[in-house]
Amino acid sequence: MADWRAPLMSAICYRDPRAALEFLEAAFGFELSMLIEDGEGAVAHSEMRFGNAVVMVGNEWTDDHRSPASIGGKNTQTVHIQIDTDIDAHCERARAAGFEILMAPETQFYGDRTYRCRDPEGHIWTVGQTVQAVTREAAEAASGLKITGWV
Amino acid sequence: MTSKVYVALRVKATPARAFAVFTAEIGDWWRPSGLFQTTPRAPGRLAFAQDGEDRRLIETLANGKVFEIGKVLAWEPPIRLVFSWRQAAFPPDLHTEVEVRFEAVGDETRVSVEHRGFDQVPAESAARHRFPDQALLARLAEYWQNQIRAVGERVS
Repeated sequence: MADWRAPLMSAICYRDPRAALEFLEAAFGFELSMLIEDGEGAVAHSEMRFGNAVVMVGNEWTDDHRSPASIGGKNTQTVHIQIDTDIDAHCERARAAGFEILMAPETQFYGDRTYRCRDPEGHIWTVGQTVQAVTREAAEAASGLKITGWV
Repeated sequence: MTSKVYVALRVKATPARAFAVFTAEIGDWWRPSGLFQTTPRAPGRLAFAQDGEDRRLIETLANGKVFEIGKVLAWEPPIRLVFSWRQAAFPPDLHTEVEVRFEAVGDETRVSVEHRGFDQVPAESAARHRFPDQALLARLAEYWQNQIRAVGERVS
């Protein structure tokens, strides 16, 4: 296996993985790093790289693997993207690529500016950028939540 | 239609340097694999050899014999390189094809390799190791990822 692979990777199901490879590159700048096509030209496997992370983009390869487009738009997992510059421009790029912006960029109590969008097959993505250093005490005071695991 | 295996990685060099290293220094960075043996012998040294307008990818073995892996079909520095690819265990009429591209991305180069037609290696061929298509092509993808990574280490 490739030595730069992260220990956790998401494998995302699409009805049309080839279209997904294009719109994920257009929206998020993911780069195609592996594509395997069988003798009929169908996508057997593909991977896109973002920084040191990888997502696998696949089809509905068993009855239990479905795109939101096949199950009424429901999501059972979402993938979060963490960036370090210009989240507002990132959001505009996603919008221009045909993604629906579900929540425009907004700075959260924990110091990250985040937005949420939906890709053309219904997968919901969240994107965040840390814009302020916030202490645990300040985050607890701002939110009323008890926060564990925040050093 | 034929199968395609595509892999791409960035290397820290200009396209011109990446192309030069890929071609002129292939004997230094190439990583042989027992899974994709070019010949039944111990791995030799690869080189792009030129004879007039004709270029070939050859492997020189320890005993001095030269095995032709393929002929260069397109030589377009610093952007693109295409060569045919055959292993000694392939049937005589089978030639697969490899296309290498070098695309500038900022101050790096995205090197991609597309290997076409490897699913045509017959089921009984030793070059296939009895692998079904999907496993074979996945291993081929890793093989080429490994080669591009070697180019990346060589340029930096």
